[in-house]
Amino acid sequence: MRPLSRHLSTVAVLAMATGLAVALTAPPDQLQGNLQRLMYVHVPAAWLAYLSFAITFGASVGWLWKRKARLDRLAAASAEVGVFFTGLTIVLGSVWGKPVWGVWWTWDPRLVTTALMFFVYLGYLALRRATLDPTVRARRAAVFGVLAFGQVPVVHMSVIWWRALHQPPTVLRPGDPSIDHWMLAALVLNVLAFTAVYAVLLRSRIRLAADEEALAAAQDAATADLAGAAVTAPDYGRRTEPDV
Amino acid sequence: MRRYRLAAVAVLGMAVVLLGVLFVGNINGNLVYFLTPDEALAQRADFADDRRFQIGGLVQQDSAESTPDGLRFIVVSGTEPGAAAVPVAYEGSPAQLFRPGIGVVLEGSWNGETFDADTMIVKHDENYRAPDADPTPAPGSAP
Repeated sequence: MRPLSRHLSTVAVLAMATGLAVALTAPPDQLQGNLQRLMYVHVPAAWLAYLSFAITFGASVGWLWKRKARLDRLAAASAEVGVFFTGLTIVLGSVWGKPVWGVWWTWDPRLVTTALMFFVYLGYLALRRATLDPTVRARRAAVFGVLAFGQVPVVHMSVIWWRALHQPPTVLRPGDPSIDHWMLAALVLNVLAFTAVYAVLLRSRIRLAADEEALAAAQDAATADLAGAAVTAPDYGRRTEPDV
Repeated sequence: MRRYRLAAVAVLGMAVVLLGVLFVGNINGNLVYFLTPDEALAQRADFADDRRFQIGGLVQQDSAESTPDGLRFIVVSGTEPGAAAVPVAYEGSPAQLFRPGIGVVLEGSWNGETFDADTMIVKHDENYRAPDADPTPAPGSAP
């Protein structure tokens, strides 16, 4: 095992601690004051949601092409973590919106498209639960995972395409980011920390899925053994090794 | 399997048509989150005095004054002179970041020439700057 992957959890915890420290020491915003510090968790959560769904998209395309169970597990795990980050984005945005905008929620295009993305990927997870056969599940989920990704650019561009309350992008846009460079450094550090957390969550989820599959396979084998004991295989006169 | 595929394609097709109608057709203009002051003035005839809608614009410099139950100010489409302006009577306490020059989205209805609002949302922009050396305290910086 490579050292980085063994210490991934430690790296994630240290990165989050550093990110938090930097977020609390960066200069406050001229207009919003300390409330603006919510940006250091809200924006990374949103970007990690984009990244999660992009990886689900990539793994789904990969599954449709190569049909490897590993890619299906990756797509599923990433979608699950992505739903978590989308929910986190909405909650943190709400907490930021109440003092700054004056409302927890409003029917702004960015908010509505983000909520839509949350529910569509919940649908993805529900579809996986509702399909029992692994191959059928992988195929349906892969098609869903490819189609659903179409809304991610819509979420990002919603603040530009439609008239919105939510501010347009500060960093992910053409041109110089319109942000103080200390604040930008703090934001980037927090994005890296969130990425490490994403990697930890993704890895645990993939391992869990692999273990679940191994367990299901073992249970199938056990049932097969039981039936094998009751129904003896026809003897065609050839000596075989006794079953263990 | 075939029935599942048929259902999936049908649902997907309906979703695409629905989204197309919503976004391209923009029924009644209700998808617009708010009207700017010039649009609101241009469409004054379409909005009767009781019909609620949202106006979004900038708070004109030096226009805000307190009233017993709220604020009066003028919301403008832009900072250039001659920009469309709508006088607003707002009932309630102003949002924390409310100040001249900031963007606001107001919900309410026309009352003659004035827009009677009961909900105000402050719209902040995408620029984040550290405080200047000039020591005016930023709102929210004190507990």
